[in-house]
Amino acid sequence: MAASTPLDPFLRGSTSKNTRGLLRIIILCTIAAAAVSARLFSVIRFESIIHEFDPWFNFRATKYLVKNGFYSFWDWFDDRTWHPLGRVTGGTLYPGLMVTSGVIYHILRLLSLPVDIRNICVLLAPGFSGFTALAMYLLTSEMSSSPSAGLLAAAFMGISPGYISRSVAGSYDNEAIAIFLLVFTFFLWIKAVKNGSIMWGALAALFYGYMVSAWGGYVFITNLIPLHAFTLILMGRYSSRLYISYTTWYALGTLASMQVPFVGFLPVRSSDHMAALGVFGLLQLVAFFNFLRDQLPGKQFQTLLVALGGTIVVIMFLGLVALTASGVIAPWSGRFYSLWDTGYAKIHIPIIASVSEHQPTAWPAFFFDLNMLIWLFPAGVYLCFRNLKDEHVFVVLYAVLASYFAGVMVRLMLTLTPVVCCAAGLALSYILDTYLYAQKPVEESASSDSNGSIKASKFSANSALRSTRNSIVGIYSVVSKSVITSMVTGFLLLYVAHCTWVTSNAYSSPSVVLASRLPDGSQHIIDDYREAYYWLRQNTPSDARVMSWWDYGYQIGGMADRPTLVDNNTWNNTHIATVGKAMSSREEVSYPILREHDVDYVLVVFGGLLGYSGDDINKFLWMVRIAEGIWPDEVRERDFFTARGEYRVDDQATPAMKNSLMYKMSYYNYNSLFPAGQAQDRVRGSSLPAQGPELSILEEAFTSENWIIRIYKVKDLDNVGRDHQSAVSFDKGHKKKRKPGAKKGVRVLREE
Amino acid sequence: MRFLKLLALTALSWTAVAAKKATTNRFDTYFSKQASSAPFELDEKGYNELTATPRDYSLAVLLTARDARYACGLCREFDPEWSILGRSWQKGDRNGAHRMLLSTVDFDNGRNIFMKLQLQTAPVLLFFPPTVGPHAKPDGQPLRLEFLGPQTADSVRSWLLRHLPPGEYPPISRPINYARIGASITILLGAFTFITVAYPYVLPVVQNRTLWAGISLILILLFTSGHMFNHIRKVPYVAGNGRGGIAYFAPGFQNQYGMETQIVAAMYALLSFATISLALKVPRIKDPRTQQIAVIIWASVLFGMYSFLLSVFRVKNGGYPFWLPPF
Repeated sequence: MAASTPLDPFLRGSTSKNTRGLLRIIILCTIAAAAVSARLFSVIRFESIIHEFDPWFNFRATKYLVKNGFYSFWDWFDDRTWHPLGRVTGGTLYPGLMVTSGVIYHILRLLSLPVDIRNICVLLAPGFSGFTALAMYLLTSEMSSSPSAGLLAAAFMGISPGYISRSVAGSYDNEAIAIFLLVFTFFLWIKAVKNGSIMWGALAALFYGYMVSAWGGYVFITNLIPLHAFTLILMGRYSSRLYISYTTWYALGTLASMQVPFVGFLPVRSSDHMAALGVFGLLQLVAFFNFLRDQLPGKQFQTLLVALGGTIVVIMFLGLVALTASGVIAPWSGRFYSLWDTGYAKIHIPIIASVSEHQPTAWPAFFFDLNMLIWLFPAGVYLCFRNLKDEHVFVVLYAVLASYFAGVMVRLMLTLTPVVCCAAGLALSYILDTYLYAQKPVEESASSDSNGSIKASKFSANSALRSTRNSIVGIYSVVSKSVITSMVTGFLLLYVAHCTWVTSNAYSSPSVVLASRLPDGSQHIIDDYREAYYWLRQNTPSDARVMSWWDYGYQIGGMADRPTLVDNNTWNNTHIATVGKAMSSREEVSYPILREHDVDYVLVVFGGLLGYSGDDINKFLWMVRIAEGIWPDEVRERDFFTARGEYRVDDQATPAMKNSLMYKMSYYNYNSLFPAGQAQDRVRGSSLPAQGPELSILEEAFTSENWIIRIYKVKDLDNVGRDHQSAVSFDKGHKKKRKPGAKKGVRVLREE
Repeated sequence: MRFLKLLALTALSWTAVAAKKATTNRFDTYFSKQASSAPFELDEKGYNELTATPRDYSLAVLLTARDARYACGLCREFDPEWSILGRSWQKGDRNGAHRMLLSTVDFDNGRNIFMKLQLQTAPVLLFFPPTVGPHAKPDGQPLRLEFLGPQTADSVRSWLLRHLPPGEYPPISRPINYARIGASITILLGAFTFITVAYPYVLPVVQNRTLWAGISLILILLFTSGHMFNHIRKVPYVAGNGRGGIAYFAPGFQNQYGMETQIVAAMYALLSFATISLALKVPRIKDPRTQQIAVIIWASVLFGMYSFLLSVFRVKNGGYPFWLPPF
């Protein structure tokens, strides 16, 4: 350290501290900027547009909030969805997201920056991802004494595809702000446990309340924090710090969470929240016994502990059983239960199984979303065992639980990503700190205290890890240092390239607008969805009811602004099954259903012409299954498979399939596009019957450019009182078919 | 002539009475059989007798093949459920008020029945509605429940109820499994005793940090290599590649084999271990030469393995553009 360079004044003493602080801020700002800009692919490539399905509802709700104010939003009864039931929207959504954008909108207007609410909604997720990177820095910095760990973790978090997948510009979904809140709440909780401070505990409760108002995944926090506290108690690490932070968090956090109408009294009734309550009670007991131990001599305390403790445990257990049995506490709510037993949800609740996000995760998805972090992750967790302070216990628990959940459900990759970034940051910063330390260790020196950034753990041999028993020496040769450093740099560059590639290729498609490549390599935009929705908006009366499968409910509500029968909220399984039945039955059966529900238009998605595989015929079996769940006698899944168990749409399709409304709507007039007898379905790869299906209760109203969306108008009752089949055949010039024996039968008096 | 007519009439009325009596008797005999063991077993003769028209009772017959020779998993799986249904029905309907019989025909006892009905699969549940009486179905054709997947007593009961006239029917009552309760109590007590006795010996193991680190890492590796996917989707362990060899890696992004995930987990484990060694072990080596060699070995392991991992990933995801030198 003797050599003096012109840079020295900046690297030593108080100036150096300032320099480093400034550098850190600049780096963090750069990371946040990188995180934001990595998410703008879709805006650049397409336009500033809301993506997918759920975001369209959130966008519509936000517009309502901005237009009508907070209180009427809170009491919003939406009569334009779930016709004719309507939906108590204000009480059945997580308002955090909409309120956040509403607040931003009003602040910007206050600063006389009139930004369109749509742009705020589109850019909210990238903006918050910048904050997430900062929160990640704070959280990881609590875990490690090395300043680089936090920066690395923040950088990982900023561009990790696992998080980008749900937070690109336009993906205006609850997760957009929820992951920031998740990470920040965890940071505040760690801070609270470390300091035993009511302030940090209250802040954690505040952000927990915010999280509850934003995303249903808050249950993860509700269970992870109690688990952390419980593990600490089991490890004999009870302290007043733990008591103060946990009780503050639980009391204030539960009150805060109960303010959200959708959550209401769940925190004291549903079993998802029972762990938190149980640990709260346990902490009181432990604190009480700790107090007693100070007051009583050892022997008496032992007796008291066993007697009193045993009694309390038994009483509580019996009480819990009684409450569950009597129905005061709900047993297990469906969506959460499917985490434990995925088979259960699939058998009992087809609507859960039909959501693709509830599918388990195959290993390529992990690598795709996390790249090299996936193998740095276990190393980082192992490093946590080195010191194993309270906060490290938290990381270990979080790591194991989140990997389990992410393995069961693709969507929960989101909750895994933060802890992976944190652990990977710890591991990599440890390696870099070791191998970037320029000074060569003196040989034969027993312990190197000079190694500033690495703290040798001073635990007894029993409690320490086996691999850290010897003292640290340091790295001798420059070759080793340069090899490792350059390799890590290479890996990091590869990581950046991977993330950019994944984001640009996989996660930046709005799914409302599809992009394809023409043979000459130029991009071709397929804009059928918006074309059809705008057709609806401009050509139908504003109260025309549109029936479609529930996937498109939010989009029709958001883009076409027309009332729908069912949407992605899926709160009423029977209503969805009604739509499924109408789609999967014969026309004569469907028509009364359509009439009863005042349906004016029916919308189907058909990908046969373009080879778009996400169409309704491919989703059709789910409609059948859900309808079968309610009307097992009238709709049978078996009828839609051929005798050999195949799902076919060509000549060999089953009669049930060929006569179903969905089949007819999809393929109506389709063969007119092709020379006779050569109609091809490019999704299913099968040639269709020469004679196309005939529709009598519907008439084609609109078909989009690439035939992806087809809209049909429901015919009114026939003027002359005929049924539609005979009306159609009359129009075609066929003779009226005489029913055999109708004339010859005995004439009976018509009775009304 | 007149006498003849009379004779014929008497004879006719006699046969009618006899027939009436026969059906009543038929129901009563089999109902008493059901009272002793429900659902009762039928052979070919009993089956023909019971299904003969006219019937003034409903009949459910399960055609099954329980013997291990036929390797019918579904048959053996459903058998206890069927007994539960039979017994609860018998218990709730002691007087035969619903006039319903539940019986079983095993393939061993009624081969000809299977032939006659041209059954290709088992089990099949047939429901014969009554042909006479207030709820008669005139054609008397049996209804058939297809076993497309595992059925429970409750689902079969609700299927039967759909075809029976509306009314109150016996609910399913599952017997309390005393053996299981006893076993779990024994196990609990045993575990408690074991913990009390072994406490001083177990404690150091439980408090061993390396052990816990190992457990957590194994769990993490298991989950992140897609074990839960295997568990839920029940994927095959390996599959042939169509040319007589073994395909270790399933084609496609959404597919995997059991062995594939183990290979991937091993790769992750090796990479993590190399990282841990570089971070923790290498800086603790006192001898400069040994340290140099260790660094080079671990670095090459890390580099080579990561390159291999990328190449495996390229197999799964065709368009993936990145690679590292060796593979």
